[in-house]
Amino acid sequence: MAKMASPMAKEQGPMKKKSNLAIRIWQYRYFYIMFLPVLVALILFYYLPMIGVRFSFYKYTPFAPPTFVGWDNFRRLWSTPTFWDAFRNTLQISIFKLFLNMFLSVSIALLINEIVNLKIKKAVQTIIYLPHFLSWVVVASIFMIILSPQGGFVNQVLLSLGIIKEPIYFLAEEKWWRPVYYFINQWKETGWGTIIYLATLTSISPELYEAASIDGAGRWKQTLYITIPSIMDTVIIVLILNLAKVLNLFESVFVLYNPLVYHVSDVLQTYVYRLALNANAPDYGFSTAVGLFKSVVSCILVLFSNWASKKVRGRGIL
Amino acid sequence: MAEKFSFKKEHRARTIFHIVNFIFFAIVVVAMLIPIIKVFVDSLDTSGSYGMRLWPQNPSFSAYKIIFTTTALYKPFLISVYVTALGTFLGLLMCTIGAYVLIQFEMPGRTFFSYLLLFTMIFNGGLVPTYLVMRDLKLLNTLWAIILPASLNVYNLILMRNFFEGIPRSLFEAAEIDGCTPFGIFTKVVLPLSKPALASIGLFFAVAFWNQYTNFTIYISNPRLYNFQVKLRSLIIDDQSLAAASSEGIYAKTVQNAAIIVAVLPFVFIYPFCQKYFVTGITMGAVKE
Repeated sequence: MAKMASPMAKEQGPMKKKSNLAIRIWQYRYFYIMFLPVLVALILFYYLPMIGVRFSFYKYTPFAPPTFVGWDNFRRLWSTPTFWDAFRNTLQISIFKLFLNMFLSVSIALLINEIVNLKIKKAVQTIIYLPHFLSWVVVASIFMIILSPQGGFVNQVLLSLGIIKEPIYFLAEEKWWRPVYYFINQWKETGWGTIIYLATLTSISPELYEAASIDGAGRWKQTLYITIPSIMDTVIIVLILNLAKVLNLFESVFVLYNPLVYHVSDVLQTYVYRLALNANAPDYGFSTAVGLFKSVVSCILVLFSNWASKKVRGRGIL
Repeated sequence: MAEKFSFKKEHRARTIFHIVNFIFFAIVVVAMLIPIIKVFVDSLDTSGSYGMRLWPQNPSFSAYKIIFTTTALYKPFLISVYVTALGTFLGLLMCTIGAYVLIQFEMPGRTFFSYLLLFTMIFNGGLVPTYLVMRDLKLLNTLWAIILPASLNVYNLILMRNFFEGIPRSLFEAAEIDGCTPFGIFTKVVLPLSKPALASIGLFFAVAFWNQYTNFTIYISNPRLYNFQVKLRSLIIDDQSLAAASSEGIYAKTVQNAAIIVAVLPFVFIYPFCQKYFVTGITMGAVKE
């Protein structure tokens, strides 16, 4: 790469070592100029907000200048039941979702891999990837209409089959909200989740299967002793990568929840959102404190994932 | 995988498995599509009572006509187009220049820049501090609040860098001997060789910008700047904005359904042609090596 700046190289010879760095910086001047927009955006939109976390130690509302209050916001957070509800919900929902998605994606990928006709295989893949690209607003709108208790498709079908007597308000009853949320999530994301497993499955050497069938192993045994162990690494990697993101749950909940089901659906991010932006009296200090709590726990999870990833596959996620 | 499809004894179990598997996927595909099909059918149905029908009565495009003739409904669509076009362009620009600088291995400060980018994946300021910064930068209630922060996507930048690392260095050296400046190498060597990566990352950006919703609800309070997702949301949540529709004798529900279809329309048009780029995009990042 030193050759990159070869027209400059001849100047470098007689110079003293001390000014070497200055020369190299000069050689790369165009690159620094090119990097400038990225650097500016990075500082404005990522690093300035990091400095803003200091407000978690301030009493801060739009109507008065911030005043330092030490650990007050965190003490309040510790004794607020709705905060703990949100924290518990975040963990329960994301972790359940993570394992459910993994189980369904792996199963569907294994079955897609068994489809012999390539055209059917391609068509199935095309269709099940599709919902991933729909926005959460669109997905929520579709399901709010389909699941509506006033003439929604699902309630109509269930009523006409005699399975239920009264229409069910799927998104407004505590016992229904989570199952429905998981279903909608899987509807949207299962197909997309199969891509990575299918990529791994196609990379398994056919010789392994040939050898196994010569040894007399049937299809079931081949799946059990060759296919599943081969994708196990990928399963673990996906698990680790997603572990880092468990607290980021936001938009999917935000568009599907409502005040009737806050108790089972409110997550940290939606809680912060309501505290800071939607309330009549926005509380920037306290909501920043909740956000900081979330960021710190997330940070620990990312570092743990990175460490685990290095152990499992020899390279980190960062 | 050459397999005989027959009911002879030795193949019977296998054949039954294939049939069961086929039926299973037929059910899965139908279950995936029914919600979308139902919404589409109802958007054409002007009877107002949809029930369980999967075929429209008195099909007409009047609901779509309302969306594209009511200013309050088509303006958000144009804003979505604008944000997506500009955002995708800026996103790819940031990604490619950032990635190009990060593959200059001898450049002083390169490692520092890498760490500066990576650290944002470990820790972030969070919703409220970011909102306060936007407020202080006077970006609230401007579309820049949506476009600028999202155009620097560290994950996409790193995908792009991984792709650039695969370009043979000898090409750079050859171009340099021919008298190319660093910027010339970027536009004449790096970019033309990266078309597949530009296509997939570009599509990721386009989908992300088209689907923007959360940031609009956080940074934009002026209804004239709402994009189609925010508009769709308000159509579904409160029927107030549908007064125009009902005045023309069209059911609010029909317009809601049509708005959902309009929100996914641009994507459905390009999806069949671009599917392979989406898939390369994800495998490029995840199963590299």
